Amino acid sequence: MSPADEIRHHFDETLDAILRGTVELGALVHENLHRTTEAVLESQLEVAQQALDADDEIDARYAALEHRVFEVMARQQPVAGDLRFLVAMTRVLYEIERSGDLAVNMAKGLIRREGYTLPAGVHSLLARMARESAHLFQRGLDALADLDAAAGPVLDEADDVVDELVGEFYAAIAARSDDMGFDIAVELSRVGRYMERIADHAVNIAEHVTFIVTGSFPEEDSVATGDEN
Amino acid sequence: MTETGPRPRTRRFEAMASSTAATGEALFALEDLAVSYGDFQAIGGVTMNISPNEITAFIGPSGCGKTTLLRCLNRMNDLIDSARVEGSVRYHGVDLYGPRIDPVEVRRRIGMVFQKANPFPKSIYDNIAFGPRVAGYSGDLDDLVEESLIRAALWDEVKGKLRDFAPSLSGGQQQRLCIARAIATSPDVVLMDEPCSALDPIATLKIEELMLQLKKDYTIVIVTHNMQQAARVSDRTAFFTVDVADEGSRTGRLVEFDDTGVIFTTPREKATEDYITGRFG
Repeated sequence: MSPADEIRHHFDETLDAILRGTVELGALVHENLHRTTEAVLESQLEVAQQALDADDEIDARYAALEHRVFEVMARQQPVAGDLRFLVAMTRVLYEIERSGDLAVNMAKGLIRREGYTLPAGVHSLLARMARESAHLFQRGLDALADLDAAAGPVLDEADDVVDELVGEFYAAIAARSDDMGFDIAVELSRVGRYMERIADHAVNIAEHVTFIVTGSFPEEDSVATGDEN
Repeated sequence: MTETGPRPRTRRFEAMASSTAATGEALFALEDLAVSYGDFQAIGGVTMNISPNEITAFIGPSGCGKTTLLRCLNRMNDLIDSARVEGSVRYHGVDLYGPRIDPVEVRRRIGMVFQKANPFPKSIYDNIAFGPRVAGYSGDLDDLVEESLIRAALWDEVKGKLRDFAPSLSGGQQQRLCIARAIATSPDVVLMDEPCSALDPIATLKIEELMLQLKKDYTIVIVTHNMQQAARVSDRTAFFTVDVADEGSRTGRLVEFDDTGVIFTTPREKATEDYITGRFG
């Protein structure tokens, strides 16, 4: 530890705790993403309900962490890397919390279309899409935990895989929309949208990490943008 | 904490000190406290509790009476002939201004560090050893000096030169020496009156880091003009302001006292917000 670190030991501990807490929050969301995916693929309404319940804990932790960051900014007058870290963390927390909400939306959709069985082709595409999306989300969290500045551009590229799968998924729904009926087709295309957005949030997390470490975003035009709803 | 010789007068405080820590009660309870110098009332109407093992900060514009209030907590105002204290200050539940309380003993239990570092014109060692010697300390003075300097985060910088002349240390080191001197007599409270106002930013952060360590063993009350310092180190912050009467007399008043996080994010009083955001002061 350098002398500079020792001087503000308590402050450094606080920043570490915020990073740790945020990664843990991300792990809870990742776990819930698995839960909702399992619920949707296996048509398990009970598991879907568990995912809804788990989101309360996620929301509470999110609110507490956001408040902590807010208070540290007010009390510690952060500058330079500390300021970049704290400002970026407010955004990272948002990306994580939104991802959790999207996972929950997927569970709610399952509850709404209770009794409907996914056609085999749609089922397998959904499984692949959800797996890739969750995997990307995990890589975003890894980048955060390691403060890996190089991950931003890498994840941005990896996101193409998810986007392609989502495209295929939409096409599969369109091909069967007459059999499914309008409501089910809309519900399922929403699931595609959620998976796409979760992957975008993962890319955003990694790009915020690049900003924390280097002071600039990977590339202006590669930043995932847009609204998820 | 280092063992000190028997002090019958403080047994009452010390017995109560443990019960205070155990029950989470106030260490100091101030009620309708007012301090006047002759006809001039410096501060009035202060009611507040100060908790043990916390850092409590007093902030506010010049003339708001925060230093006067701090000096009430160890009867330093007794040294000013015209000073008069009204209302009550209870320390461990005991009236600090009661007839049987010895102010010298109060100041041993409640130490003070001043704005300008004021080491005695003696060696580093003798600065620390002075108080315990006067108090008839019966333990190993070398150990006490070392322990006090370790606690004050100064040992590593001075351990090879304890016989050096203390005023030759840097400003930040001198202030940490004064903190070591204050804690050598085993106080349970350390009052700090603008301890960093003469220090550069790095020396200031070192003192703040030290305060955060010391609060595990001591209760700290700090007066500071630097509200960012209050924000950084304190657990609770009291904001004082000064009221100017028609005839021009100025009296300090407690505006708001709350968790430091609340004061610096969502203060209840507009006067507090105006002061900490630099809109008034």
